[in-house]
Amino acid sequence: MTCDDARVLMHALLDDELDLTKALEVQRHIEGCPECARAFDMFAAMRSRLKDEALRFEVPSTLEENISRAIRARTPEASRSTVYPSRRASLSQRAALFALPAALAATLALVIVPRALKSGAGQDLANEVVASHVRSLMASHLMDVVSTDKHTVKPWFNGKLDFSPPVNDFAKDGFPLVGGRLDYIDGRPVAALVYQHGRHVINVFIWPSSGDTTSEERIETEHGYNVEQMIVDEMNCWVVSDLNPVELGKFAALIRQKG
Amino acid sequence: MRAKEKRLPDDPKTLDFDRMFLPHMGAAYNLARWLVRDDHDAQDVVQEAYLRAFRFASGFRGGDPRSWILAIVRNTSFTWLSRNRGSDSPAEFDDKVHTREIEPRGLEADAVRQADGVMVRAALEELASEFREVIVMRDIEGLSYKEIATAADLPIGTVMSRLARGRAKLARLLKERLAKEQ
Ligand SMILES: [Zn+2]
Repeated sequence: MTCDDARVLMHALLDDELDLTKALEVQRHIEGCPECARAFDMFAAMRSRLKDEALRFEVPSTLEENISRAIRARTPEASRSTVYPSRRASLSQRAALFALPAALAATLALVIVPRALKSGAGQDLANEVVASHVRSLMASHLMDVVSTDKHTVKPWFNGKLDFSPPVNDFAKDGFPLVGGRLDYIDGRPVAALVYQHGRHVINVFIWPSSGDTTSEERIETEHGYNVEQMIVDEMNCWVVSDLNPVELGKFAALIRQKG
Repeated sequence: MRAKEKRLPDDPKTLDFDRMFLPHMGAAYNLARWLVRDDHDAQDVVQEAYLRAFRFASGFRGGDPRSWILAIVRNTSFTWLSRNRGSDSPAEFDDKVHTREIEPRGLEADAVRQADGVMVRAALEELASEFREVIVMRDIEGLSYKEIATAADLPIGTVMSRLARGRAKLARLLKERLAKEQ
């Protein structure tokens, strides 16, 4: 390998974009070539500088609301072609929608294809839970209490809810607890526990069961969000993540066991 | 009141669009902001891009929604730039020159590590937009080469060489700034 080649390929090496054979070839060259080694160190330093959070421009808080509104202003003509013309909102209903907090309006998603749940109520809940999950990720309001210690997270809910949610850490199983927050589902305050698995965030929504929901249902979503619903110790538990169904199933099993 | 609000029927297409593309608004704004280099203009660009995306959302057939929306943001940014600021003086593509010859001589890793953050930012702002955009997508947004290829409409090999060149040029700009400071 020539130095000219190495000076291009070392960037792909830094970016972890080379296959193993090529990566070893570049590494071998760098080890034997002081000039390329110096360049490699310099570019590695540059790359970590560029990853610095301060270089990222934060999106202005009003932009999302403006865009959400602008899209909805166009919807009447756009929706003529949809299959639900009779369910189109009236203009006054649309006006009411604008009054909603932007994040809520933006994320009321109706994309879940129910498998087990046929009832409208279950579908509504599933939509709400996914919407809350998405909202928690994008509003940078994932957690009100940031802690991996269940003895910190659990008491935090005291006085904020009329029930005490079960809080467990599953760090040793690869699902560390990272925090919690208050959320709203089905028109009531609920506990939201946040877990992590690799780079995936898992939200667990918990509130007391009214006893009329079925105990174990699985729902899969269309676009990569997976939802599991279960009742544990008379609590409704909804687990949502973009994690694959197999891993999420493992996590749900842990929740079921520990209650 | 809440119960009513949540049952408010909304166009399924709109809701689907929201859920897929609104979570990427941070990435969209960051890219637009780095390309047009002004907050208000970047907001206009993102809004225009999202409306365009909404109109063409039926053309979105799976794939990665972030790359897809970023491709639209990028095109909208460049259209906006040529309309409002004339051309952004595209860099001459000195393809015959090796990347190695673009790199500055004697810029050490330590100097890069210790450089003032304001200086790093200014150097990136000064970099030609063809290079700036791939560096923003890769190093700030963390896109893979494949995702950059989709968003910037480039072959993957070009993504790699443009990143290599872009970083070499950036190193040169940074070194010039460091030299001026002394
Ligand atoms: Zn070499």
